[in-house]
Amino acid sequence: MKKNILKAVAAALMTASLLTGCGNDNAGSEQSAQGDKVKIEYWHVNAETQGGKTVQELVDKFNAQSKDVEVVARYNPDMYKGLMQNLQAEAAAGKSPAVVQVGWAFLDYFSNNFTYSAPQKIIDKDFSDDKNFLQDNFLPNVLDLAKNSKGDQVGIPYSLSTPVLYINRDLLRQAGLDENGPKTWEELIKFSDTVKKQTGKYGFYMQEPADNWAQQALLESNGARMITDGKASFASEDGIKAYQAYADMVIKTKSALHISWDQGVQAFVNGDVAMLYTTIAQRANVQKGAKFDVAAVSSPAWEGKPKKLPAGGCFLAITAQDEKQQKAAWEFVKYLYSVESMAAWTKGTGYVPPRKDVADAENGLKSFLEENKMMKAATSQMDSVVPWASFPGDAGLQAEQLLLDTRDKILSGSISAREALTQTQEQINNLLK
Amino acid sequence: MRVMKNKKNLITQNTMIAYMLILPALLVFAIFMFYPLFYTAYLSFFDWNMIKPLKVFVGLDNYKALFSDPLMPLVIKNTVVYILILLILNCAAPYILAFILSFVVKKGRGFYKGAFFLPSVISLVVGSILYLWILNPVSGPAAVAAEFMGINIPIWSKTQGLVIVVLSIITTWKIFGYNFIVIFGGVTGVPQEIIEAAKIDNIPLYKIFFDIVLPMSSATGVYIFIMTIVQGLQYVFTPIKVVTQGGPDNASSNVIYDIYQEGFLLYHTGYASAMSIAAMVLFVILLVIEFRYVEKGIYYEN
Repeated sequence: MKKNILKAVAAALMTASLLTGCGNDNAGSEQSAQGDKVKIEYWHVNAETQGGKTVQELVDKFNAQSKDVEVVARYNPDMYKGLMQNLQAEAAAGKSPAVVQVGWAFLDYFSNNFTYSAPQKIIDKDFSDDKNFLQDNFLPNVLDLAKNSKGDQVGIPYSLSTPVLYINRDLLRQAGLDENGPKTWEELIKFSDTVKKQTGKYGFYMQEPADNWAQQALLESNGARMITDGKASFASEDGIKAYQAYADMVIKTKSALHISWDQGVQAFVNGDVAMLYTTIAQRANVQKGAKFDVAAVSSPAWEGKPKKLPAGGCFLAITAQDEKQQKAAWEFVKYLYSVESMAAWTKGTGYVPPRKDVADAENGLKSFLEENKMMKAATSQMDSVVPWASFPGDAGLQAEQLLLDTRDKILSGSISAREALTQTQEQINNLLK
Repeated sequence: MRVMKNKKNLITQNTMIAYMLILPALLVFAIFMFYPLFYTAYLSFFDWNMIKPLKVFVGLDNYKALFSDPLMPLVIKNTVVYILILLILNCAAPYILAFILSFVVKKGRGFYKGAFFLPSVISLVVGSILYLWILNPVSGPAAVAAEFMGINIPIWSKTQGLVIVVLSIITTWKIFGYNFIVIFGGVTGVPQEIIEAAKIDNIPLYKIFFDIVLPMSSATGVYIFIMTIVQGLQYVFTPIKVVTQGGPDNASSNVIYDIYQEGFLLYHTGYASAMSIAAMVLFVILLVIEFRYVEKGIYYEN
């Protein structure tokens, strides 16, 4: 009897290994069976409200005009962190998409942990006509955004965004405030408190997704640095002061909202919050939803200090493993960077185009930018753009998570900004050792 | 001698057939339960992040780290709170409701049964997103209605404690219906004559419930009791993932979400494996206690 059970288990294990073996074979033959059309996957983070439709349009157009490549777009929830996690799972299973969007914050993490091909390498190998594609079409400082700490060009900047301040002019007027919105954070705090007092509605909401992008803009504009020489350094006097001022709006005067991102944007669009600090990528969504006099203005600065706005969005990296897929990937990537595609991308998402010649071209964005004043808030502050802080090493994901937990702690009022930031900085630096 | 041999052949033949018949089920169990279980136990002794080719053997370090993790007490406390709330909402409440519908209010039973079961059909992800919108404390429909009555809805998704209650309610939407139908079946199984006799004797309703209905339907009750704990904790995962991602500051994380976060968000594969093994041991102990003490007092009709 025991023997029989052993036999059964042995049989089960054999079948199991057979099944997994088959799985791999299938994946292999899928590509070769297609033969004439190489099938590649493009991973993106754009939900329906954040340009997902444009992704599909671009992919469909590309597939219609390409003879030998077929692209499948795959949506990854939870933004760039979510995509990175899915990519990790995919890599663990021994597979890989061809083109992925990598958030700026994950630049180093990505280049340390995954195999990718530098775009220029693929160009040099197979596409000598495109030899100068990168130099000719991108500003050097923009290309630099996608260089890792070792100076390697990991990918090409694709989505560029900066935080802007959306304002509900009706509410501001109702509270007796300047309808053009605040210029500094000091003013913004006063505005927010006044709105609360005069109208009973909330004055301000700063986005709280699963990253610290907007909070970085707040801290660094006040002179703090998220990272100095590979070590966390946000708990400086400037950083603490900025965070505490923000927390005071939430806890003391209760004029700012502390809520999840979706609910916060929904509240602004419904007219319950006067000012919304979030990415320019939300422009289309805000514009379509808001039933009041809505406008976007540039990020506030701290009085007498230069703004430092992290570049949001992502760059495209080529993760295709074999040569056939890599060629197909470049073909697709090049298509995405054409003037028309870039223009469509900006229209659909509100990202600022990273390459030259799009803003002024007739087939680009010329007429669009004239009509959409909201975009000006983002295009006019490109000189303040700094890289999005990315914690080095394998502990990068955990460092980011710790900062999220800290945000909740500070905004719930259970601990002061000074205490929380100092503790977290120490914790992160211990992790990074 | 020959007879013996024949008999033996017959037995082996029969057992062979029997084994053949359980083989498919055994296969499925082996692939999807036993193999992952052993592999998890194996992984819990390594430091690994799922992509590195090298797994570093660390012995019992992961288990040691588990007991010194400052997050553990909070996560376990949250888990207990989830269990208590889920038991009230999905075990006690349907029990009382089933009692009322079986013996007190008999009109419109069919309608209630259908109405209570309906939400169980909808996916919990959809339900969670729906609730996120409905319960938006600033501008959702619930907030508008509350404002009308002069009440402010607290920002539950960022409030410690309350966030667990709301997530449990979202989960209840999914499991209440099924639990209700099953308990209803058990409660209606109690002979009507006994209840009638009790009523004639002027026994108060709560006594009928506790002294007659509860003991006589205890077999179903215990099943739902255990399912509420085991399944409820798994179902609660969905709203946590969709609505709060364990926040604010881990206030809505439970053991299962924490394992997921460590394993699949931070890629501490070894540590997450150790945590799952520990959680499993804990549940096994609970089940053993249940079989020892609760099972004895249960009334099985057959």
